[in-house]
Amino acid sequence: MNFDKVVAGFFIILAMTLNFGFVYGDINDLVAHSKYELFAAIVINIIATILKLGDKTQIGSVLLATSLVAVIQLVAAATIWAIAGYSDSASIEISSIVISLSVGALLANITSVILYIGETLKSKR
Amino acid sequence: MNNSSLWIVLQRMRMPFLVLVISYTISIIGFLLIDGMDNQGNIYQMNIFDAFYFITYTATTIGFGEIPYEFTYHQRVWASVVVYLVVLSWFYSIGSLISLLQDKLFLLEIKKAKFVKQVKNIKQRYIIILGYNYTTSEIIKKALCEGIRTVVIEKDKQKVDHLLLENFTPYVPALEGDAFDPKALEAAGIKSKYCKAVVSLFEDDALNLRIALTSKLLNKHVTLAVKSTTQNHTENLYDIGVEIVENPFNIIASQIQMALTAPNLLKLKNWIHKLGTLDTPLNKLPHGKYIICGYGRMGHSIYDVLQKNNIDSTFVEIDKSKFINLTKDEESHLIMGNGDDKDMLINAGVKDAISIIAGTNDDTVNLSILATAKKLNPKIITMARENEIDDFSIFNHAKIDYVFMPSKILINKTSNALINPFSDKFIQILEKQNEKWAQHLVRVLIETIDHNPKLYELTLNKTDSPQVFNTLNENKKIKLSLLKTSLRNHHMSNNIVPLLLVRNHTDSLLLPAWNTLLEKNDKILFACDENAIEDLEYICQNIYEFHYALNGEERTILNKFKRKTK
Repeated sequence: MNFDKVVAGFFIILAMTLNFGFVYGDINDLVAHSKYELFAAIVINIIATILKLGDKTQIGSVLLATSLVAVIQLVAAATIWAIAGYSDSASIEISSIVISLSVGALLANITSVILYIGETLKSKR
Repeated sequence: MNNSSLWIVLQRMRMPFLVLVISYTISIIGFLLIDGMDNQGNIYQMNIFDAFYFITYTATTIGFGEIPYEFTYHQRVWASVVVYLVVLSWFYSIGSLISLLQDKLFLLEIKKAKFVKQVKNIKQRYIIILGYNYTTSEIIKKALCEGIRTVVIEKDKQKVDHLLLENFTPYVPALEGDAFDPKALEAAGIKSKYCKAVVSLFEDDALNLRIALTSKLLNKHVTLAVKSTTQNHTENLYDIGVEIVENPFNIIASQIQMALTAPNLLKLKNWIHKLGTLDTPLNKLPHGKYIICGYGRMGHSIYDVLQKNNIDSTFVEIDKSKFINLTKDEESHLIMGNGDDKDMLINAGVKDAISIIAGTNDDTVNLSILATAKKLNPKIITMARENEIDDFSIFNHAKIDYVFMPSKILINKTSNALINPFSDKFIQILEKQNEKWAQHLVRVLIETIDHNPKLYELTLNKTDSPQVFNTLNENKKIKLSLLKTSLRNHHMSNNIVPLLLVRNHTDSLLLPAWNTLLEKNDKILFACDENAIEDLEYICQNIYEFHYALNGEERTILNKFKRKTK
């Protein structure tokens, strides 16, 4: 058992599950989505990205790319939410933007997990 | 930054990034959990953005103050913990980044990436030179003069710095690395279509062979100039397909051979190598008894030459290990002893010898041998081998008749073969001629031109001489004499002598006659003066001057009309 692999796998899958947890719920109502969950999702996604840094292999590069996509989408969602929070209360429009961005990030995270599993299955050790 | 250095940064920065993210997260969560108080005394909870904002400016020690409301004591306690946590993690990250920038491996990667980029940007012919020293730096200078760029691979960092200080223009990229490393050779662009040649002149024959082999495997079209001092290695190099194999001791031997039998040939050769002019006195070596100190690689070469010319010779060698595997004939010429020793020299017959050659690989010994010999026999002709370039001035003052410098010979031979391949070919043909022929040519050159003619190579192709090429394309006949026409008066001719004409890369015509008919893609080597070069270039490239030289009249519309009516 490789401890590095456990840590990397843990964070990659946690990033996806947290992202899913945030997205799950009514798309028009931000009340149904916890901002703390979004915060956690962003932090875990960044950690997952850092863990993928410096891997020179082909699959490593694609994994890094998917993580970067997820982080950018989640940070965009958080930024929009923060700006909207200062100007006025969350409208339906803002809520749908935030959630749809996160759904995009979720897709990237799912891709990342699939690639990760694929690589693990391919490995003979 | 190329890929590899970027990856090093990413890999090394993993841990610092993780520490930063985690310390930020802990701090933000802390502020989210601790209750704050607004101006009206209501309890409120910091939102995520406010917490992130506060941490961001605190961590970077900017410190805008407590927002959005003044902190409670609970918050301040947590804030003081946070300051230590995040500020330290920032310092740690920045520290790792700085130590990374000082990391040797990283710097080397950056330098290598820069070098590869510089080499890729050279969009003209260039040669790769392995090892930087006096010899190669002279070759670089000669190449740059002729408009050929150079790239250097050198193992020693100090020598690379010396090269940078030399400030060559245009820039000479240098890579710090092993010359035999295929990766270094590839980085130096051995596979590029612009790479013309690789020069490897290391002392170590085995290393040269290894480089030659690697280079030929990487790119079989590249020309190689390699030094070799033994027969065995020379054969190996030719087997690999190396074009230019240089043996400085063979070259010295052939110089002695020429000085013995054909001093005028030697004069011509020195003139082409730009070592002398045609009016320097002849270097004729008389026949008689020769004493040679040192029977190593150079001694062997000289022995062969002297034997061929039936010259009485005595060799003095101190090193016992060199007495193994000698033929009987060789042994009869060899005395064991120190060439420096007075009695030894008398014993070898210095008093009735005509010449002494000090050919050991130690400059001090060589000088001392000659000084002793000169004392014993003031009339003796002295010849020395000079190993170190730094001793140049000492040798200069020692009033030695002939000084052989293997490194200088290598410079001339290499640069000529690589930069002016055509005059190198002329030298090869020249060496097969006899003394009478050389004497005649020297006289012709001095009479028609001057004592130091210039060499000019002309190729009859579309780019170098479009006028001649196009006319030949129309199946018109042009004689070689067209090229000597003076543009001031077409009845006159310039000071010019054709030395060599090469047709279809194989047929070569030594000293072609002026009525030779030209053909497309002929290569011609001329000896001429400055003025003749100018006229020659005009005739080859300018439509009006070409017309004048060919027909003896100006090219005008009227003339064209006149010729038609005729």
